[in-house]
Amino acid sequence: MIYRETGTFITSYIEDRKLFPIPFDKWAMALFMLFMVFVIPFIASDYWLAAHLIPILAYGTAALGLNLLTGMTGQLSLGTAGFMCFGAFFTFNIMLRSPEWMNLPLALMLAGTVTGVIGIIFGLPSIRIKGFYLLVSTLAAQYFALWFFRSYPYFLNYATATVTLPDHHFDLFGIGETFDVDMASFEAKYLLSLGIVTALALFAKNLMRSATGRNFMAVRDMDIAASVIGIPVIRTKMLAFFVSCFYCGVGGALFCYAYLQVLGIRTFEMNRSFEILFMVIIGGLGSIAGSFYGTILVYEFPILFSWAGDYIFKGAFDTAVVDNVAKIMYGILIIALLIREPGGLAALWATAKQKLRTWPFPH
Amino acid sequence: MAAGNPILQIDNITLAFGGVTALNGISFDVAEGEICAVIGPNGAGKSSMLNVISGVYVPQTGRVVFREQDCTRKRPRQIAQLGMARTFQNIALFQGMTVLENILTGRCMKIRSTWIEQGLNIGRARREEVENRRAVEEVIEFLHLQGIRKTPVGKLPYGLQKRVELARALVAEPIMLLQDEPMTGMNLEEKKDMSCFALEINREFGTTIVLIEHDMSVVMDISDHVVVLDYGAKIGDGTPDEIKNNRDVIDAYLGVTH
Amino acid sequence: MDFDWVFFIEIFVGGLMSGIMYSLVAIGFVLIYKSSGIFNFAQGTMLLFAALTFVKLTEGGVSFWVALPVSMGTMVVFGILVERFMMRPLANQSLLSLFMATVGLAILIEGFSQYMWDSAIHGLQLANFLDLALLDPVNMTIFVVDYVEWLDILISKFDIFATIVAGTMILILAVFFQKTRTGMSLRAVSDDHLAAMAVGIPLSRVWALVWAVTGIIALIAGLLWAERVSVSFTLVEAVLKALPVILIGGLTSIPGAIVGGLIIGVGEKMGEIYLGDLIGVQGIETWFSYFIALVFLLFRPSGLFGLKIIERV
Repeated sequence: MIYRETGTFITSYIEDRKLFPIPFDKWAMALFMLFMVFVIPFIASDYWLAAHLIPILAYGTAALGLNLLTGMTGQLSLGTAGFMCFGAFFTFNIMLRSPEWMNLPLALMLAGTVTGVIGIIFGLPSIRIKGFYLLVSTLAAQYFALWFFRSYPYFLNYATATVTLPDHHFDLFGIGETFDVDMASFEAKYLLSLGIVTALALFAKNLMRSATGRNFMAVRDMDIAASVIGIPVIRTKMLAFFVSCFYCGVGGALFCYAYLQVLGIRTFEMNRSFEILFMVIIGGLGSIAGSFYGTILVYEFPILFSWAGDYIFKGAFDTAVVDNVAKIMYGILIIALLIREPGGLAALWATAKQKLRTWPFPH
Repeated sequence: MAAGNPILQIDNITLAFGGVTALNGISFDVAEGEICAVIGPNGAGKSSMLNVISGVYVPQTGRVVFREQDCTRKRPRQIAQLGMARTFQNIALFQGMTVLENILTGRCMKIRSTWIEQGLNIGRARREEVENRRAVEEVIEFLHLQGIRKTPVGKLPYGLQKRVELARALVAEPIMLLQDEPMTGMNLEEKKDMSCFALEINREFGTTIVLIEHDMSVVMDISDHVVVLDYGAKIGDGTPDEIKNNRDVIDAYLGVTH
Repeated sequence: MDFDWVFFIEIFVGGLMSGIMYSLVAIGFVLIYKSSGIFNFAQGTMLLFAALTFVKLTEGGVSFWVALPVSMGTMVVFGILVERFMMRPLANQSLLSLFMATVGLAILIEGFSQYMWDSAIHGLQLANFLDLALLDPVNMTIFVVDYVEWLDILISKFDIFATIVAGTMILILAVFFQKTRTGMSLRAVSDDHLAAMAVGIPLSRVWALVWAVTGIIALIAGLLWAERVSVSFTLVEAVLKALPVILIGGLTSIPGAIVGGLIIGVGEKMGEIYLGDLIGVQGIETWFSYFIALVFLLFRPSGLFGLKIIERV
């Protein structure tokens, strides 16, 4: 099957607005999702789920959150890990302190909402402060989050450093007991994460192709023109902070619940914020799919590299070397991408698709 | 065209940046349904005037009344909601978006659905997208932009960008349209097109137009009313014929011999 | 409550001194911002890189007087490389892209310096070095343990030394910027790249120079800071602390950087001691400086001394 749009005729505005205008893309995506839901849990080992797929989903959510704020709305943020921290701690506390009927997806949404509100508070300065100056506000959020949960051990249920997340938090409406399924297994955690991430990504995609998304981008590209044509600039910025921090919060909670299995403050140090920023820059600022491409690359590279070290060079590299080489690689990749293709991996992919569409005639 | 009631009243506007006075006690009226040209040499304060009218700058003294409402301290968005749209001297399109998306942003005040509905892509949000698209397509057709819908605006030549900007202003269905040098830097052909668009917009939709323009032949041809600024002061106000014979205006443009 | 004035002054002076160190770091940011409009996020890792280079040299037995110029030379080469391989290809990109590039540069240097040297935490007893290097013939040690007593308060001599060095650096830079030909061309470049090129200012040479000078500032700041916080990633975070400083001062102003540094230095110490007591929680200095900066910025969005931007459309 040749990758073509010929033969597809757009006859209504609804059709023109479709997510996948080319049928091939639609079918490929459907197949991919079916594979992810029905095949992966059966063929993937616990190691693959726990060390690759789940963390990518969790990181991806946070990266998507940051991308909504920085890539789409143009508000710089270095506080991603701080917002993830809020999300993770609130989820834990909601689960811990609520009656029986509380379940993880609901708790995630609630915690995400609270994180979003906190995001609005730290986003308020963006009304007056622009550009690089806004870094202060998001850095304040980062350090405030760490300080807050360190100072009030109540939120960690008075544990010393970390708390292991209990299995019963994963049970949904007693499904586990009724059907005798292990809801805390990696398969279940993976499916839960996948469901949430898919829903959130779809929501973001819809948002970005509607009026709100256009408002976001208008504020990013030129906020003064945006206000003159009637876009509520302040409300748009606050909404961007809310949505972004909601995503980061959920991402943080998934990071602890589905990936690490433990909750602790050290998970959300400053480094994590940078890591997610790299994912977004490499993946492509302003691209939803790009957030995930970047996540996969940044997350997998050190693993691949150390694997290569073990198998090809017979354990020549220790973890420090892997770590540092990965850092050098990200640095070079970021600078090279910015010089050659500022749209990141997402733009590279789009160019490749465009080439395929017009192949073999390059113009 | 017969002048109606004043839709926009500028009353004694003074605007200063630091020590520089950009506008000094300017007053004039714009009648409903007319095309009013604001002319003057470079640095006369024309763009500042437009910025005051659309709420980008707040003047130190004076009042701007639009549709019988005091807009002097209103924010740009509130003024836009009263039915004012504008284009900019240095194109202010959203560079990261396509032509279609840029024009769709002009419809932002017609949106009633909430962001949650839009994110879920249900009911009202879906309907609105189609309605807005229809309205946008009408303007696209009117301004002959069909071929470039999905092109990123940054890749377009200057003349087309100006046209896209006009489209973005028009889809808001404004009662009054401000155009800041819509024809600067265009060739004769493009200028002719832009003047025709202005006249058509004025005649078909009854939109009042205030425009800044340097090309005198265009100004004299299409406008009903001309206001002349020089060094932040108003030196002429009247029909094109009156302005042509105004001593002060001729002096300002040609220089005075004493 | 009886107010302890001596204690207050001690904190105040301590705050001023850490403030001047913040100022020194902040000036590195301001230099680059002024000449190219970029907020150089890599400033912190440049500090780390410079200090690590110096530490490893001295650990390898190189004497202080050799290690210092060698590290400086390294930073100059670094500046030239950055101009050639990052600034020049990115010259026409948006400021956001340039900022992101410096983020990339930051991680690159971090990885590189830890790969070349190692990621262990190094202590740098600069005071020891100074005693050895400067006072060896006299056979004295004054920097290590000595304190000056002034109105009953103790001030470490090393702090005084650091303050003097930082202050001198700041003075030299200010004169350089305002009086010399090169300084003027730097300012011209920051106002308008194209116009500066049109009158014959060699843009790439100016940029290379700025990056090299910034590198040297980073070295000195890195060495002074390392005395307090050790040479490791914490040095990078320490630099993030300098961020509120420049933002308060305004990204474009050297006097702003100095005043901002002093405000943050004092405010942070005061906040920690007095406000911390008031709300009964410790450790607020991790975010308190950002809070001060935010309050300032809310009233002066481009900082105290920054250029007020008139938005034109």
